[in-house]
Amino acid sequence: MSANHRYRLGCDIGGTFTDFVLHDIEAGSLQVHKVLTTPADPSEAVETGITAMNGGGFLAETEYVIHGTTLVINAVIERKGADTAIIATEGFRDSLEMRREIRYDIYDVTAVYPEPLVARPRRVDVPERLYASGKVRTQLNEDAVRERLRELADDGVESIAVVLLHAYANPDHERRIAEIAADVAPDIAISLSSDVLPEIKEYERTATTSVNAYVKPLVERYIAKLEKRLAAQGFERGLYMMLSSGGIISPATAKAHPVRLVESGPVGGALAATKLGSEAGFDSVLMFDMGGTTAKSCLITDGQIPIAGTYEVDRVHRFKRGSGTPLGVPSVDIIEIGAGGGSIAAINDMGLLSVGPKSAGADPGPICYGRGGKIPTVTDADLVLGYLDAEFFLGGGMTLDKAGAETGIANQIAKPLDLSVREAAWGIHEVVNENMASAMRMYVTEKGGDLSIAAVVAIGGAGPGHATDFARRLGAKTLLIPRGAGVYSALGFLVAPVSFEHARTHITNLQTASADAIQQNFAELQAETADVIRDAAPDAELSFTLAADIRYTGQGAALRIPITDDFEPAVLTRAFLDAYAERYGNAYDDMPVQIVTYRATSTAATEIPALALPFSGEDINGALKGVREAYCPLGHQMISHHVYAMDKLPTQGNLAGPVIIEEESSTLVVGAGGEVIIDRRGWLVVTLADEEPRS
Amino acid sequence: MTSAPQFDPITFQVLWSRAINIADEMATTLVQTAFSTVVRDNHDFAVGIYDAKGDLIAQANQSTPGQLYCMQRVMKDLLETCPSHTLAKGDVLIANDPWLGSGHTPDIFIATPTFRGDDLVGFGVTCAHHTDIGGRLAAPDAREVYEEGIIIPITKLYDKGQPNELLFQLIERNVRIPHRILGDLRAQMAANHFGGQRLVEFLDESGLDQLSDLTDAVAAQTEQNMRSQIAALPDGVFENEIELEEEDPAGKRLVICSRLEVRGDEIFIDYAGTSPQVPLPINSVLNMTTAYSTFAIKCALTPHSPNNKGTSAPIHVSAPEGSILNPTFPAAVMHRTAIVFYCVQAIFQQLAAVKPDRVMAPCGTYPLWVERFAGKDHEGNPYVVAFNAQGGQGARFDQDGVATTVFPANVSSTSIELLEAEAPLLCDRKQLITDSGGPGRQRGGLGQEVVLRNLAKDDALLSLSGGRFHIAAPGMDGGGQGTLGIIRLDGGSPEPRRRQALLGQDGTALFAYPGGGGYGPPYERDPAMVLDDVRKGYVSRERAETDYGLVLSNDGTAVDTQATIRKRAS
Repeated sequence: MSANHRYRLGCDIGGTFTDFVLHDIEAGSLQVHKVLTTPADPSEAVETGITAMNGGGFLAETEYVIHGTTLVINAVIERKGADTAIIATEGFRDSLEMRREIRYDIYDVTAVYPEPLVARPRRVDVPERLYASGKVRTQLNEDAVRERLRELADDGVESIAVVLLHAYANPDHERRIAEIAADVAPDIAISLSSDVLPEIKEYERTATTSVNAYVKPLVERYIAKLEKRLAAQGFERGLYMMLSSGGIISPATAKAHPVRLVESGPVGGALAATKLGSEAGFDSVLMFDMGGTTAKSCLITDGQIPIAGTYEVDRVHRFKRGSGTPLGVPSVDIIEIGAGGGSIAAINDMGLLSVGPKSAGADPGPICYGRGGKIPTVTDADLVLGYLDAEFFLGGGMTLDKAGAETGIANQIAKPLDLSVREAAWGIHEVVNENMASAMRMYVTEKGGDLSIAAVVAIGGAGPGHATDFARRLGAKTLLIPRGAGVYSALGFLVAPVSFEHARTHITNLQTASADAIQQNFAELQAETADVIRDAAPDAELSFTLAADIRYTGQGAALRIPITDDFEPAVLTRAFLDAYAERYGNAYDDMPVQIVTYRATSTAATEIPALALPFSGEDINGALKGVREAYCPLGHQMISHHVYAMDKLPTQGNLAGPVIIEEESSTLVVGAGGEVIIDRRGWLVVTLADEEPRS
Repeated sequence: MTSAPQFDPITFQVLWSRAINIADEMATTLVQTAFSTVVRDNHDFAVGIYDAKGDLIAQANQSTPGQLYCMQRVMKDLLETCPSHTLAKGDVLIANDPWLGSGHTPDIFIATPTFRGDDLVGFGVTCAHHTDIGGRLAAPDAREVYEEGIIIPITKLYDKGQPNELLFQLIERNVRIPHRILGDLRAQMAANHFGGQRLVEFLDESGLDQLSDLTDAVAAQTEQNMRSQIAALPDGVFENEIELEEEDPAGKRLVICSRLEVRGDEIFIDYAGTSPQVPLPINSVLNMTTAYSTFAIKCALTPHSPNNKGTSAPIHVSAPEGSILNPTFPAAVMHRTAIVFYCVQAIFQQLAAVKPDRVMAPCGTYPLWVERFAGKDHEGNPYVVAFNAQGGQGARFDQDGVATTVFPANVSSTSIELLEAEAPLLCDRKQLITDSGGPGRQRGGLGQEVVLRNLAKDDALLSLSGGRFHIAAPGMDGGGQGTLGIIRLDGGSPEPRRRQALLGQDGTALFAYPGGGGYGPPYERDPAMVLDDVRKGYVSRERAETDYGLVLSNDGTAVDTQATIRKRAS
C-alpha cells in the first residue's frame, strides 16, 4: 500500500447533519464525525467536517471519498430543483400532467395529486414523429427546435428533459435535439429519455426523465463545488457517488444520471445493516434509521438488500401507493417518513398533539440548538426527558439550550393540552414513535416479514434514542446498536462496490431469434456499463451479471431471468417457463415467448474492508461517565440512569436498564427491564423487557 | 347487526393489513400475467379474497368499484349453484352473466376455491374486463344482450384440475382474438392461485383456523362505522330528477328519478319513476345500480374504512323492475355506465346539502369512454384494442377538479406507445383542452383531445363510446358547466350519438373528452388562481374575463385588482 492509499472517507449529507467516517486502513481504525448540514451550499459542511478531522491533513493520503446525499430527494420533495422544461413530440406535452388517469384511492373524492414537476408553460413540443418500430414518420423540424430552445433559454430555463414518443426504439431525434442545444443553448443541462429510461410507456419515461432534468444542474453544481473543495485540501484521487441501488459510481456518471441518486443516503445504512445482520447471525433485520428530518426502514432478509426496479417519490398522500411520481430506476426498497429529531410538534385542528412531517432541519433547527428555532421538536423533547445530554451533543461539539427547550414545550404544547412539561415531552416522543411504527408495521407486513424473530438495527443520530420504544411498538424483541450508529450510512458507503446497471427495451422473439443476436445485444450493454465502471475504477477487474426480462408475447409485465453464458433461445425459454410455473402455479408451452428488456450490471472487484469498531475497554466501570435523571415511562417520572461512554466499553459484559450509552454521534436509551449485552466485535445486543406493547 | 369476534386492535390491524396485501399482490400478479391492454394497462379489473362462506375478507386497492361490489353478489350465486361441500381441489368456477355479475358480458368472474389440507378455507377471486367476448364488438346500437357476445352461466372451468374442454372451445370459437382472451383467463387463474397460496401461508403463520372470524370482525367494524356516519346525518328525504341525453325509441329523453331517505342509521334509495328499459345497450342491471349507489354513499360518509358486506348492510337500494336501472333479460347492457354513473351524480347532488365537502360536482367522466378498434394489422393479423382516456372530474368543495382522471370507475388510460406497438393506429395528439373545466370558485377538471388515425390498409371497425354529447356536466352550488364531449370522424361534424363506424386507411377519429363541472360561483375564485390558470393555459384570457370577472393589467401578466373588484361587483 502506497502512502497515499492510507485512508478511505465515507461522507453522507442528510437533511440536518453531514456525517463522516474515516477509515484508516493501515491502523484498521475508524474515526467518525458529524457537523450540521449547510443547505445553501452542502459542500461547505463537507469541507468544515473534513477540516475538523485531524485538520484535514489526511486527504492527501486518501485513496477515495465515497459520497451520498439527500440533495436529490429533498430537491424533489421541497420543489427546489432547477427551472426545468420539457420538449415533447408535437401534441404530447401534457403526458406528465395527465399521468395514467387512474385514482390511487377509490373512494376519497378529496384526493390530490402531485403538482407536475414541470408546469405547463414550461412544456413545449416540436414537430417530429416516430412509429413504434422506431422508423421515422415525420422528420425532426430543427428550426422549430432551435426556436423553442432560444425561447426557453431567454426565459431562464436551466434544464430540459427531452421526451419524444418511441425514443426508446430510436434515439436519433432526441440526440439531434441535444446537439442543437449544445449549439444554441450550451448552458442548459439536457436529459434525454433514451438515455435515462429507454423503456416503453410515455408517462413513466417522462416522469423519470423530468426528475433527472429537475435535479441535474443542482447535482452538477454541487459535485463541481465538492471536487473543488476537496482538491483545495489536497485530495486528488477518486471521488465516488452512492447510487440508490447500492453501487458507487464516478461523479461524471452521477451528473448524467442524478435520478439514480434518489436514495443515495439511506442505501448506505441498508448496506451496513446487511453486513451487521449477517455477522451478528440474524437472517432478517429491520434497518431503522432515524435522522434529523426523516426516518427510514428497510427489511433485509437472507443477507440481501432488497432492490426494486421502480421507485415512487413525492407521495402526496403519505403512505398511499400511487400518490407520487414513479421513477423507473433501480433503488433500494425502503420506506421513508417525515419523522426525525427535527420534526416539529404542534397542536392540530382537532386539538391533538401532532409531530412532523415538517422538520426544523438544520437551520434554524430545534429550539435547543439556539440558532433561532422557536418551535419545539423531537430533539427538544428528548433533551427535556433527559435522553440527551446538553453538554455532550455531538460529543460536546454543540451545547444545547435545555431551558429554552423546556420553555418552548411548556408554552406551545404543555399549556394548551393542560399537561406538565415532562408529560408533554413524553407525548412528543411517543407520537413520533407511533408515527414511525405504524408506517413501518404496514411496510413489514407487506413484505411478509416477522419482527418477533428479526433484529432491529437502530442507526442514525436519533435512532438509538428512539429504538426501544419504537421496537416495542412493533413487537420486536431484539435490537442491534453498532458503534458509530449515528453515522452508519456513511460507514455503509465504505462497503459498497463500484457497480452500475443499464437496461434497454429491445423486443426479441425467442422462436425466431438466434443465440448470436441475443449475445450481441448483451455485449453492447455490457460494454456500456463497463465504460461507466472503468471511468470510476480504471484498473479494477470487472464482473458482469446479465438478466433478461422475459414474458409471453403480449403480456404487459415480464419476469427477470438471470442469464449465465448460454444465450440459446430454447434455454432462455425453458428458464422462463420454469420461473413462471414456480411463481404462478402453471406455465404454458403453447404461447410464444419474448425478451422485452436486456439488463447488464458491471461490478468492479472491490476489497470490502472490515468495518466494525471493536470494543477494547478494560472494564465496565472504566466506561461509566456518571448518573443522569431521565424519564421512565413506566413510572411516569424521572429516575436515575447510569450513563456509559460507548467507546470505552470493554470487550464483554452486560448492562441492565435503566441505562444510557452515549457516543459522539448518537445516544442509546434502554429503559428499566431492558438488557444490554456487549459484543466485542463492535455492537450491543439489546433485549427488551417482555411486556405487553403499549398502544 | 353482525356480532364482532374480538381481536386486540394491534393484532387486528396486522392481520387485516396482511390480508389486503394478499389481495394487492393478486392484483399485481394479474397485471403481470395478463395479455390484454385492458387488464394489464388499464387495470379494468377487481380482485378480492373471500372466506369459505363467500364473504369478502379484503379487496385490492387497485380495483374498479362496480366489479368489486358485484363480486360479493357473484360469490353468493356461485355458492348457491356449487355449494361448498361439492367443491374440490383443482376446481375453478367461472361466470359472466350480466344479471349475476357486474352488468355486462366482458366482465368474467373467476373464483378458485382454496384448500388447506382438506378444508375449504376461502377463495381467490378475480373479475377482469376482457378485450372481446364476441358479438358485435360492443356495438353501441345493440338492442338485445344477444348481440353482446357469449354468456357463460355459472359453471366449472376446471373440475378437479381437468379443463372444461367444451367451454374452452366454445370461448375460442366465439371471440376475435382467442389467444388474448384465453391468456387473460389464465392470468386470472394465476392470480387466484397465487392468492390461495398466500392465504394458506397466512393461516399457518397467524395461527387462525379459518378466516370467517376475521371477515366478521372487519365487517362488523365497517358496518358500525357506516351506521354511525349515517346516524350523524339529519333524518330526511332528498329527491332528485336527472334528465339524460339518452333517448327512448320515441325520441324522448330518459330520466333518473331518485329518492334518498336518511332514517336513523340507515339509508333508503329508491329509483321509482325512472324511465323504462330501452332497446339500447345502456341499461344497468340492479347489481350495478346498487354498486354505484352504495359507492356514492361510501365516498361521502366512510371513504377510509374498508369495503365489504358491512358497508352495504345499512344501505337499501331499489329500482323498478323493467327500468333502465333494473332491466329484465334480454336487455342490452354493454355501455351501462351511460346510465349508472348518473346515480352517483344524483346522490352527490342530494348529499351536497349535508356533506358539501365530501362530494364532487358532476364529472366529465360520466360515462366511461372506451373506444374499441378491430381490424387487421399490416401483416394481416386480426387485432382488437380498447382505447381508454377520460375527461375531467368535477370540482370539490375546496379543491379544483382533477384533470383527465377517471371517476367513479377506476381504470387507467391507454399508453399511446403501447397502443401503437399493438395496433396499426397512430395518435396525432393527446392534450388538455383549454376552457373545458366548468368555471367555479373551484374549477372543474379539464378534458382532453385525442386524435387517432388508422394506418392499416384494411378498414378499422370502430365502436364508439363516451357521452355528454348534448348535456354537459353541470356545476354545483353556483359553479358553471364543463364542456361537451365531441367525436368527429374524418373531420366531419360531431356525432350525435354513439355508433359503429368504419375508419378507412388514414381515416381519423377525434375525441374531445368533456370537462368537469365547477363548484361555487366563479366570481368567488381567487383572482391569483385565475391568473395562474391563464398562465398555464387551463383558462383563456377571454374566459377569465367573461366567466371569472378577471381584469388583467395592460401587459396581461398581473391582476388589476381594483378593476376586477369593480367588474365582479357590477
